[in-house]
Parts: sequence; C-alpha cells; structure tokens
Amino acid sequence: MNRVAIERKVLNENDLIAARLREALKGTGTLSLNFIGSPGAGKTALLERTLERLPAHTKAAVLTGDIQTENDAIRLQRYGYPVRQITTGGACHLDARMVENHLTDWLDCGLELLLIENVGNLVCPTSYDLGEDAKVVVLSVAEGEDKPLKYPGIFRKAELMLLNKVDLLPHVPFQAELARENARRIQPAIEIIETSCTTGAGFDQWLQWLAARAERKKASAKLSAEAVSVT
Amino acid sequence: MHEMGIAASVLDAVHQELHRYAQGQGVSPEPGPQRVAKVGLRIGEFAGVDGESLRFCFEAQVKGTEVEPIELEIKWCRTEDGWRGDELELAYLELEDAQQAREAAV
Repeated sequence: MNRVAIERKVLNENDLIAARLREALKGTGTLSLNFIGSPGAGKTALLERTLERLPAHTKAAVLTGDIQTENDAIRLQRYGYPVRQITTGGACHLDARMVENHLTDWLDCGLELLLIENVGNLVCPTSYDLGEDAKVVVLSVAEGEDKPLKYPGIFRKAELMLLNKVDLLPHVPFQAELARENARRIQPAIEIIETSCTTGAGFDQWLQWLAARAERKKASAKLSAEAVSVT
Repeated sequence: MHEMGIAASVLDAVHQELHRYAQGQGVSPEPGPQRVAKVGLRIGEFAGVDGESLRFCFEAQVKGTEVEPIELEIKWCRTEDGWRGDELELAYLELEDAQQAREAAV
C-alpha cells in the first residue's frame, strides 16, 4: 500500500460560508462578535445593558439565536437598534448560513457593530465559525468555577471572557479567582472582564474594549480600501 | 452534530484526489487505477470533533458507494505534545491497486 501525504485542512461548508461572511464584514469594517455561554449566563441581559450604553449614533445591530420563541428579540428591540431573531427550530447552535441568511440588507447599511447572541450552549456553538472577529464567552458566578476545565473548547477559542453576575458574589460560594485561574490554564492570553447587568459594574471597561476593537476594525477596513484605490 | 459535514468534506477530498489521479495529475505513485484504502486525519483535542460520531457519519456516507470499503484513521493532537489543539486536517491517503483489491475481495 502507498501512503500519499495530502496535508490539507478539512473545510466544511460552514467554513466556506464563514470565510465569505468575514470577507464581507471586512469590507464594511463591521466588528462582529459571537457571544457564547450557557443558558442563563446572562447573554441577553448583557446585550441589553450594552445597547443601552452604546454611544449615540453607533451603527449597531443584533442577531439573537434561540431554538424557539422571539422573546429575546422582543427584549432587545426596546433599545432602538435593529434586532433579528434566528430560531433554529432544534439546532443547538447558530451556523454561518443562518447568519448570512439573516444579515441580508444589513451588509449595505455601514454597520459598525454586529452582536451575535448564540444559542445557550457551551459546546456546539464553539465549532461553528460565524465569520466573527472574536468569540466572547459569558460565564456567570451562578455556575461552577470549573466550567473552563469542563468545556475547554470555548475558553480556548474566546478572546474575552465576561464573568457575569458579579453582584451575586456575596451570596454564592463561587470563587472568582479560581475561575479566572481555570480560564487562564486553558488559555493564558484570555482577557477577563467582570460584569454585572444589575449594578452596571464592569461596563465601562467592557464598553472600552468594544470601542477599541470596533475602532481597530474600522481602521483596517479603511487601510485595505486605500490599498485597493492605490493599486 | 457537525460531524456529518466533516465526514462529507473528507469524502469530497477523497473523490477529488481520485479524480486527479484519473486525470493523470497528482502524486499517485503507481501506474494503473488506484483506490483509497485508508484516510488519515489529524484532529486536535479542542477541535470540537467527536471521534465516535465522526466514524459513524463517515461509515454511513460510505456505505453502498464505490469507495467502500475505506478505513478511517484518526490521530488525536494534544497541546501537551506540542500541537495547536484545533487541527482538523486530512493528513494522508493510503492507496492500493484497484484491480488487486477487487481480486482479493472476491
């Protein structure tokens, strides 16, 4: 028998669509973030507080994924930004095609910020690239400190961990330092911001992170546009 | 859940390679029609791929097609051994002479 080296990445259909999405969002300079966390970690509340506190005139939009119901979209629509619900009808994650199908005309509106709330699940969403710039993992102090060890995939891929519901810390046995250590054991470079949607703690820092990333994305789109016009 | 898609992409790659050989391109080391006996994958421990599920999906998609029988070998890549951990790669194919394989099967 003869062994022939192939050495090629296995790209599935999702990766191809995600690459197309990434290219489109690069062109428009849109910062796209994929929020992943367990059900009840506070993803929707985080987005609500975020939308509430975005600088005026920010061109932001939200895609929110759930297996059933439009509840999250209804909650998020109160803040005056365009929101679309993706109901997966059973699938436990969003995939790139769903995102592409729901973006449609949004790609032509000069969006600065696209916030994608994934289906509540720490496992499957990790494997589906949505063409985002970064994954943000949301972990709440009502969960276990060992979540990063139990679900290493998402903590490895996320650029930022939002340790949420820190207002509950006096009432729960959660050891925040241990959770941070666990996350860094999986990924030393992970950034961590502690947030509370009830008290607003940590939101200044989170919104700064967001603004800096959005600025970087816009600048890189401008640079590549200039490069094109020069050539 | 996405193992079905991964299995399909792996099979696509197998078909593409066979097609290239049939066209006289590629690196088939032997003259004459070849068939793929084995596919070697490299999968990182954090790639989010379930090995059992991938095997199941692969077998289901191979069944009754002209590439059957075909073996799947998975090498798991661990970060402690210096891998990135998110690999999902088609590493190699093992080819055999199609004629000889047919005769051996009879």
